Amino acid sequence: MPCGEYFTDYEHREGLFRWRIQRVALVVGLPVPFLLPFVLGGGDINLLSRVYVFAIAVLGLNVILGYAGEIVLAQGAFMAIGAYTTSRLIAVEVAGLPLGLVPSVLIGGLMAAAVAVLFGLPSFRVKGFYIAISTLALQFISEWFFNNGNAAFIHGGSQQSLPGSIPLFGPLLVVTDDDIYFIALVGMLLFALLSLNLSRTGIGRTFRAVHENDLAAAVLGVDVFKNKLYAFAIGGFMIGVAGGLFAFNTRFISPDLFTLRLTLDHYVMLLFGGLGRVWGALLGTGIVELLRDLLRDFFSAVAPNATSLIPVVFGTIIVVVLAVEPKGVLAALGQLKEYLRKWPYAY
Amino acid sequence: MVDVGTFLDVVVSGVGLGALYALVAMGFSLIYKVTGVLNFAQGQLALVGAYGVVLFATPSILGLGLPALAALAATIVLGIVLGIALERVVFRQFIGEPVLSVIIVTLALGGIFTGTLRFLVGPNFRAYPQALQPGWSIPLPFGASVSAAFAIGVVLSLVVVVALMLFFRYTVSGSILRAAASDQQAAMVLGVSIERTIVVAWTLSIAITAIGGILLAMARGGAGFSIEAVGIIIFAAVVFGGLDSVPGAFIGAIVVGLLEELGRSYAEPVVGPGFGQILPLIFLLIVIVVLPYGLFGTERIERL
Repeated sequence: MPCGEYFTDYEHREGLFRWRIQRVALVVGLPVPFLLPFVLGGGDINLLSRVYVFAIAVLGLNVILGYAGEIVLAQGAFMAIGAYTTSRLIAVEVAGLPLGLVPSVLIGGLMAAAVAVLFGLPSFRVKGFYIAISTLALQFISEWFFNNGNAAFIHGGSQQSLPGSIPLFGPLLVVTDDDIYFIALVGMLLFALLSLNLSRTGIGRTFRAVHENDLAAAVLGVDVFKNKLYAFAIGGFMIGVAGGLFAFNTRFISPDLFTLRLTLDHYVMLLFGGLGRVWGALLGTGIVELLRDLLRDFFSAVAPNATSLIPVVFGTIIVVVLAVEPKGVLAALGQLKEYLRKWPYAY
Repeated sequence: MVDVGTFLDVVVSGVGLGALYALVAMGFSLIYKVTGVLNFAQGQLALVGAYGVVLFATPSILGLGLPALAALAATIVLGIVLGIALERVVFRQFIGEPVLSVIIVTLALGGIFTGTLRFLVGPNFRAYPQALQPGWSIPLPFGASVSAAFAIGVVLSLVVVVALMLFFRYTVSGSILRAAASDQQAAMVLGVSIERTIVVAWTLSIAITAIGGILLAMARGGAGFSIEAVGIIIFAAVVFGGLDSVPGAFIGAIVVGLLEELGRSYAEPVVGPGFGQILPLIFLLIVIVVLPYGLFGTERIERL
């Protein structure tokens, strides 16, 4: 153990990987998830793919809520927009060639970003609670919209199935739904890198300034409204992309999958892991999703309708986390590490 | 095309529905006025009220099987106990925490209530006992009529709004609540027990909300999980009326109830089923952009 943490230049201070042990961990740890499919069975791989997909959505939520501090309760709506856009675009052919999965998912993300910006527009005048309820209204409007048969010419039917094999780009590189594991993993890593870089560059610092005190930020010359809209756009894009990948992962979409409960689940993941921390978001998503799997097995073994107690467990987790350690489990681990490092003499 | 009798019917049931929403909305603005907590679990609290009667009246769930009126009373007592318990166990931990934490805590509580109720009674619609399904209705001109649940709702919510206004203006506890609302520290210096005040506010709020939930269920003939949606619809009412104004919440709720019934009767055939409940939300979005402090709300001016 080093007796202190020293940096001799800014390049190291602001680097993505600041310690030698982090570089070693990267080299050793990065191949592990890529090798997992050769070890684990189909059920576990399916669960992990879902974790990766949700992790992208939670990272998007982290940009809006953790960095810019806007309470957005429309996680389900953004994912639904991404999912339905992807589902429609996969079937579209441009000049006789299919569009492919990646462009469809990206356009789905852009659609979600556009809607996010649209519902972020009230932040020109109001903030906090008002943004929370306007996005909550969006959540209910989107559930109604995707259930509404009269709007089928826009969303293309409220229940849709996706094909099992889709080319990745245009007609090239056909993938089946077994490959979603790798697609989601790569997507998650890319978005995690994006979030990490976002948080340590100028725009991330501006977001944090707006989060901490928007009035002070405005006095210091930050365009608060513009930066909030940037956060909505970036976060909404990531959540929309997650929705598109989710659609390809489950191969079936229906409005029941994108309800307010999804929003709450993602809040549990983010708050449990740690608000505003990329590793916290990833860790929280993994732990909560695995916990849900365990709970589902456990409760359905106890009684047939006991699975409805899962939201009760998650709600309790949120309340306890916010009361005990609002910064999340990652901060708690950091405190534990600090305590152990100084043990037994606390100086 | 627009028949007078039908229109009057729609308006009357809109006002009736609005009066039921008003109870839940007043519960919200009461607690916001006194404690500053934005309760996102109002819909679920109304649900607790609605299913409370079922819980106490059906022998197979809790083994009680009380008669209808006793179940009604037991539910209101449950609401009061819940108010005290929530304040003691949960909300006391979050005094002085950021708005974000409190909002998410109330959302989480909503999830807890819904999950518990789903576990106890299952996901299905539960009809109310016959004694709580009054068959009478009050006839009005042009062949319109107002059903029993709506009539009770209108009377009850008028009573509640007047009683609350009198309570706030003329009683000592009411003055204490207002004092605590306007400046907690100054009130504490003057010897007001903030803790007791907040408990009183939660108890009143949840009892009113539970009654609103019971009446909403009576208007449908029984309790269903669709009552949860009232939690978002009342936001349209309270934002339009001004967040911290109890009479504002009442007026806002009547407007929202009217909008919902008008939307259900005249827009749904064109736009699609379920639009009645969406129209208040669109109204909410417009109000947020145009008039964020509502009709009677206090405009908050921020300084550095």
